[in-house]
Amino acid sequence: MAKDASPVPGLAFPRETFAKLTPAPFLHAHLKQAKPVRPSGRAVGDFREPTINIGSLSHSNGSAVVRLGDTAVVCGVRAEILLASDIPSPPKEDLSESQMLENLGLIVPNVELSTGCSPNHLPGNAPGTQAQALSYRLSSLLYSSEMLRPQDLRIEYTTPQTDDDLPDQGPQVVTKAYWTLYIDILCIALDGNAYDAAWIAVIAALQDCKLPKAWWDQDREMVLCSPLASEASKLHLRDVPIPATFAIFSTLSPLKQRSEADHWVMADPDEFEAALCAEMVTMVVRTGAGINDSIVRIEKHGGGMVGRTAMKECFGMALARAKNIRRVLQID
Amino acid sequence: MGPEITHHPLARADGSATLSSNLYTVLAAVSGPIEVQRRDELPEEAAIEVNIRPSSGVGGPRERWLESVVTAVLRSVLLVHMHPRTLVQVTLQLTRAPTVKLKGAVGDVAALPTLVNAAVLALVDGGLPMASTVVAALVAVSREGGVGVEPGEKGLVGCGSVHALAYTLHGEMLLNESAGSFGVEQWGEVADAAERACVAAMGPGGQDEEMVNGASEATPWLRQELEERARDAVAWRDAT
Repeated sequence: MAKDASPVPGLAFPRETFAKLTPAPFLHAHLKQAKPVRPSGRAVGDFREPTINIGSLSHSNGSAVVRLGDTAVVCGVRAEILLASDIPSPPKEDLSESQMLENLGLIVPNVELSTGCSPNHLPGNAPGTQAQALSYRLSSLLYSSEMLRPQDLRIEYTTPQTDDDLPDQGPQVVTKAYWTLYIDILCIALDGNAYDAAWIAVIAALQDCKLPKAWWDQDREMVLCSPLASEASKLHLRDVPIPATFAIFSTLSPLKQRSEADHWVMADPDEFEAALCAEMVTMVVRTGAGINDSIVRIEKHGGGMVGRTAMKECFGMALARAKNIRRVLQID
Repeated sequence: MGPEITHHPLARADGSATLSSNLYTVLAAVSGPIEVQRRDELPEEAAIEVNIRPSSGVGGPRERWLESVVTAVLRSVLLVHMHPRTLVQVTLQLTRAPTVKLKGAVGDVAALPTLVNAAVLALVDGGLPMASTVVAALVAVSREGGVGVEPGEKGLVGCGSVHALAYTLHGEMLLNESAGSFGVEQWGEVADAAERACVAAMGPGGQDEEMVNGASEATPWLRQELEERARDAVAWRDAT
């Protein structure tokens, strides 16, 4: 025991030792105060403010580095050409535009957690369940949000009119190739809430992404790209949804009465808090000028402490978060 | 009316069941509590491992994500502290999927209720202790805003949003996966409809199903199934 000049009343060992020995009672002691506070000093409903740096990777079409507290994520977008002639089963005409991207697999996100970002993620391992689930959740949200317009990813060729054509038949536009976006997300530091950080990084990188001007050369029968930066085009992202993740800490125990259990909903959990919470809620919401506030995705599992009322409160917090993130990402 | 259930189809698993909803058929097998690998063992509770195999192929990131959701739901209802340093292994094999191709997120959410219900039935068959029975329901909201519980393939293809919710007998929401585009009031209606359907499926004791208000589809199917199993288990006493 350290002999302090002024010993802290009640505690015979330092705060960090208490946190390491009994993390759940440590967190509980913070939350059960009259004004609940978290060990990091944040209030229960406070999200961490993100710091975003775009365009730092020179070999990617678009890139972004996002820091959310101590969670740091790097995202790079690389565009590769997929020739229509290489597609084994081309999409049928009746396939809607919204399903075309998913059908062809033109957006490919991949989350890499095995970078040494935390003691649980040592480098060199194959992606575990957490990384695969994160990749799939991001992929699912990218497709279902329909943010990207299929026409931005098409490389089209207008067949020139010949004398054989019927006079009223206009020039035919054929899609000769597609841009496939490979979105690589590397987590370089993990302090909880990889999903929110990864999504913000993906949006920032897609906003930064510049696709070179590409056209089909009929004589050489290949796609040619212009090296001029002035001819490159940016992607249009419409109605960008923003996620908000919450962790619910509860004192529910099968050895105690259900009515005695207490719970707190913590916004944007860090790794320490997330390790102590089984119940998680992620809400992805859409807001903005001219559109109604709507929910795009809800993911809630791990416990039953959060019911209808608490979910509606989470929706309110998620909306406020979405407005803030849209401002930081400079989406009007 | 409820889903079709087969009891204990696999002789070598501790617990097993097949569940056929109007969209998916799942064969669930449970082994547990069994020996756990040293790296997975937890000192004060049982580890839960869920393996999901799709109807075709071996499964990739989509199945890993579904597994993480089902594991979280089962962990919130299984009494894991009763078997520390053991493993409860749940294997869910999808044997039938809808013929029509559903949009990615819609298909994922639609599979969850069948998976959760099948897993719970297999856990009960295997005699694993749970805090409460759990029922999951699928709700689809059409583009016009109509809420429909347990939609068929047609209801899913043109829907505005789809929701998978699971409730315990006490009305605790253990699972909510929603995809599409919807407002918070509409979500409230969906949660109401799902809670009614789930609590009706677990059926409070003594309530005659004909007296259930206007919902012929709200049969207490889980209660009937479990009561039948309990009756079969003691049938030998009357036979001898």
